Amino acid sequence: MYKVGIDVGAKNIKIVVMKDGEVIAKDQCLAGFETKENTLSLYQKILESANISESDVSKITATGSGKKAAYFAQNSITEVTAAAKGATSLYPSAHSIIDVGAEEGKSIRCDGNGKIVDFALNEKCAAGAGAFIESMGRALELPIEQFGELSMQSDKEIPMNAQCAVFAESEVVSLMHAKTEKKDIAKAVNDAVASRITSMTRKVGFEKDIVLIGGMAKNTGFVQALKKGLETDIILAKDPEYISAIGAAIYND
Amino acid sequence: MITQFRDWEQNRHTYAKAWKEKTGGKVMGYFCTYVPEEILYAANILPVRILGSHEPHDVTEAHIFGMFCPFCRDCLAQGLKGKYNYLDGVMISQSCLHIRQAYTSWIKHVPIDFSYYLPMPNNIQSTHAVKYLAGELAQFKVAVEKWIGKELTDEDIKHGIEIMNENRGLMQQLYSYKKNENPLISGEETMEVAISEQMVDKREHTPVLKELIDKIAGGAGSKNNGTRLMVLGSEDDDIAFIRMVESVGATVVTDDHCVGTRYFWNNVENNDDYLEAIARRYCERPACPSKDWIERSRIPHILSLAKDFDVKGAIVIQQKFCDPHELDIPAIIKALNAIDVKTLFLEFDVTVPLGQFKIRVEAFLEMLQEDDLF
Repeated sequence: MYKVGIDVGAKNIKIVVMKDGEVIAKDQCLAGFETKENTLSLYQKILESANISESDVSKITATGSGKKAAYFAQNSITEVTAAAKGATSLYPSAHSIIDVGAEEGKSIRCDGNGKIVDFALNEKCAAGAGAFIESMGRALELPIEQFGELSMQSDKEIPMNAQCAVFAESEVVSLMHAKTEKKDIAKAVNDAVASRITSMTRKVGFEKDIVLIGGMAKNTGFVQALKKGLETDIILAKDPEYISAIGAAIYND
Repeated sequence: MITQFRDWEQNRHTYAKAWKEKTGGKVMGYFCTYVPEEILYAANILPVRILGSHEPHDVTEAHIFGMFCPFCRDCLAQGLKGKYNYLDGVMISQSCLHIRQAYTSWIKHVPIDFSYYLPMPNNIQSTHAVKYLAGELAQFKVAVEKWIGKELTDEDIKHGIEIMNENRGLMQQLYSYKKNENPLISGEETMEVAISEQMVDKREHTPVLKELIDKIAGGAGSKNNGTRLMVLGSEDDDIAFIRMVESVGATVVTDDHCVGTRYFWNNVENNDDYLEAIARRYCERPACPSKDWIERSRIPHILSLAKDFDVKGAIVIQQKFCDPHELDIPAIIKALNAIDVKTLFLEFDVTVPLGQFKIRVEAFLEMLQEDDLF
C-alpha cells in the first residue's frame, strides 16, 4: 500500500507518494487561487502517471498553511511537525532543521530521536521568507533562478533593514538609484534574509547537524549567507521543497 | 451555563449604564487591579475595569509614545472614543508607566468629575509597604468621602471587604474544579466569568457564580479533555484567542493574569484595622511584575500553579513592548522548562493574528502530545 503526503504551501503544492519508506513519485504545482481543485488534480495526476489506483493508497496526510485545501486527506499535521519528521527521517543526525519557504521561515530544534524540543516561526512579515527574494528579484529585473548565483559573485557587505519587506524594498530602490551593482544588491538581500533566519535560529538554539529544507535551500547565495551567519556548516536536503510532504506521508508510521 | 456571564462581558457598557440608572450610584473606571475595590463598594460606587476592545484604532498616536504597550493604547482609545462616557470617575493604582500614561492622557482629554492617582508602592516587599499603603488608603477614603458627601464608617469598609472576599472566594472555588481531570468548565468560559467579575456589581455577580459552582459540583458542565495548558504573562482578556487555543485540542486550566487568578487569588484577612488589612491583601497578592522585586515571588507561585493544576505546557503572552513582563519572561520560561513544562511564547498586539498563532499553537500541542509517545 502507498502513503501520500501533501504539503499545501503559500505558493506551491507539493505531493509525494511513498511505499516502504521510499518516495515512488513526487510533483508540485502552483497553489493558485483554486487551491482545492489544484490540490486534487495534482494528486490525481501523480497517481495516474505512477500508475497507482486510489484504492491502493492507505493513508493521505496533509500539511502546510493551506492544508485544508487537501480536503480528501484523512489526517493533517502542522508544517512544524511535518518538517521535523521529514528531515530527521532522511537525516537522522539532524538536531536543527531550518525551513524557509515562500511565506514562512521556521527553525526547529530536535533531540537526537527526532522529537521536537523547541521551534520558532517568523513573525508578521515576509522579510524572512522566499517571497521577499521574489519581490526583490522583480525590482532588480532578475530571474529568481539567477538570484543566488549572481549574489555569490559579490564580495560587498551592504547592511539592509530586513525587519519589514516593504521598507527593505525601498532600500533596494535607493541602492538602485545610487547605481549599486545588481550582484551587490542581490547579496544584500540574501544577507538580510539569512540574518533574520539566523536570529530566529539562535533564539531557538541550535546544534549540529543542521539541515536546511524548503525552496530557499536552492538559493546558493542565501545558503552561503546562512552558513556565515550561524558560523557552521549546513546540510542541504535533497529535493528540499518536498521534505515536509515526506514528513506528512510518514507521520505516525 | 455561562450565558449570563457572557452577556455581561459582551454588553459591559450597557450593563454599567443600566446599573447607574437603576441605583442612582456613581461608576468608577479603574485601570489596574491594584485599585482597592473594597473602598469603592463601601461607598456604593460601582468599580468597572477599563479594558481595550481589540479593534484597530487611530486616536492614541498623539497621546502615547509608539513604544508603549498596545493594551494601554487600546484602553485610552476607548476613553477618547467615548465608549466609557457613563463614568463618574477614573482612577489608577501605580503599576507600570504605560498604563499610567493612559490614565494621565484620559484625565487630560476626557472631562470627568473625579480622578484619583493612588501611589501603590512599587517595593511591596519592603517592611514599610503595608503601613505606607494603609496611609494612602486613608487619604483615598477621605477623597471618596468628599466626592460622595458621606463619611465611610468602619461598618461600611467591613461591608466592602465582605463583598469582595465572598466573590474572590467563589472564584477560587470555581478554579479548584479546574484541577480535576477533564474539568467541566473551559478556559474560555472561566475567562468570561473572570472578565465579567471586573465590571459587574459583585452583589449581582456572586449569586450567579454560586449557581454556576453548584452546577459544576453537581456534575454539569462542558467537556474539556484537551491538553492541559496554562496561560500567563501580560494582561490578556482576548477571549477569541483562548477559544482558538481550545478549538485545536487544548484545555486552559489555569492562568497567571490580572484578568484571572491574580485578581482573586487571595482575600483580605480579618483585622480590626480594616485599611491595614486591605493594604496587606494588595501587597501580598500574586504580584504584577512591575512590583515583583527585589525577590521574584512570581516564579514559585507560577510553578506551584503549574503543578497544582497539572499543566503540560504554558503559553507565555507578552503585550508588545510590555517592559515588566519582558524582564520576567526569560526567567519564568527557564523555571517552567526546568520542571518539564514546555512553553510557547507569543507576542500580542491590539489585534491578534489568529491564523498565524493557530499554526504555532497546533505545532506546540503536537510537540506536547509527542512527549507522550516517547
